[in-house]
Amino acid sequence: MDVTTIAMNMFPGIASFFTQDPVIAGARVVLIILGFILAYYGFKRTLEPLIMVPMGIGMICINTGVLFLADGNTGTLFLNPLIANPNELINIMQVNFLQPIYNFTFSNSLVACMVFMGVGAMCEIGFILASPWTSIIIAIFAEAGTFATLVLGVWFGLAPNEAVAVASIGGADGPMVLFTSLMAAPELFVPISVIAYLYLSLTYAGYPWIVKWMVPKKYRGMDILLDMPEVSKKSKFIFIMVACGTLCLLLPMAAPLIMSFFLGMAIKEAEIVPYQDLIENTVMYTATILLGLLLGCLCEASTLLNPKVAIIVALGILALAISGVVGVVGGWVVYWAKGGKNFNPVVGIAGVSCVPSTAKIAQHAAEDENPFAVVMPVAMGANIAGVIVSAVACGVMISTIGFLK
Amino acid sequence: MNIVEYAAFAYLATAVISLLLIALIVVLNKFMGGKPGNENGEGVE
Repeated sequence: MDVTTIAMNMFPGIASFFTQDPVIAGARVVLIILGFILAYYGFKRTLEPLIMVPMGIGMICINTGVLFLADGNTGTLFLNPLIANPNELINIMQVNFLQPIYNFTFSNSLVACMVFMGVGAMCEIGFILASPWTSIIIAIFAEAGTFATLVLGVWFGLAPNEAVAVASIGGADGPMVLFTSLMAAPELFVPISVIAYLYLSLTYAGYPWIVKWMVPKKYRGMDILLDMPEVSKKSKFIFIMVACGTLCLLLPMAAPLIMSFFLGMAIKEAEIVPYQDLIENTVMYTATILLGLLLGCLCEASTLLNPKVAIIVALGILALAISGVVGVVGGWVVYWAKGGKNFNPVVGIAGVSCVPSTAKIAQHAAEDENPFAVVMPVAMGANIAGVIVSAVACGVMISTIGFLK
Repeated sequence: MNIVEYAAFAYLATAVISLLLIALIVVLNKFMGGKPGNENGEGVE
């Protein structure tokens, strides 16, 4: 046995760079560097650390920890998302340490639903009840990016189901994107989800510019006087039940996601403290770390060297940009409808359902011009309404995509 | 149905379902005797 063979057997992670296709090897290097960058900026809090740190580390490890398998091909001991044969799947679950988690929580959307349950547990329905029509109108405007991207996706050559999966990025809701892409275009859900989470981390940097561009200074600092309505917990709980049942009835394809969101809200309103603690802490953070880690470990070079990735990168940013711009337009529509009184157009950006980031962007934009301006309650109403409208939009698209065939 | 017609239909369906849901919540709150909120009268009344 010569020295080269010995070296290859001892260090397969390095040797595999020389035995694989040069394009794949080059992509692995790029992804390793990208993994470092994502994890580092997560550490610095420039990007969302809860997702980016595990994702970055997963990305590094899946592209470095490559070895030669029994059949002579290269692979890893993390997971193989392409195995569908049940016998092969059972075998590989005893080898790949993340395989059971991938198959039993990720590919069936369980982890997306768990994150959404946590989101529901953090939402206060009272904000919607304070200004229901304002909230829902702004949220409907802010959903425009989803449908515009749907059209653009098909024009750029994607199949309708792929365009639906990419368009869900416009809803700016991570679990929703994961759920929709798994239902509509499972073969693209890895690049779509990775790109969606990357962009969602960057909305905090980009959206303030949209607000400054579209809302002149003298309007940005306007205060909104709002009396929070006195709504009993009983009433809120009943609303949650009715809304959940109604939406599941209308959109059964999105029922798992709808139920998860409203279950979180219901547990919060019912003040079931042990469940609240469980969902807000254990469930939410377990699901988030698994989500980030699995997304990173799915970023193998061969998966991302899909020619459609470039289209998804472009469409993703367009979806979020259009949603932000049209959301602010919605803010202006509500402002003019109220006769220019007691409303601040910056609230429009909060209709993009990145809870609570976009509501915080609206509040910061207002208090930068007027330290005494308080728009947060109205912005949170629009934010939470945005989550509901995004869920409805995804449910509608998943349920009706067959109309296009 | 072409993609533009479908997108318009889906957007309209999303808007209608969302507005109906909020209308349901507003009516339920009135029925359960909820007190008004926003001083512009837009709140829950």
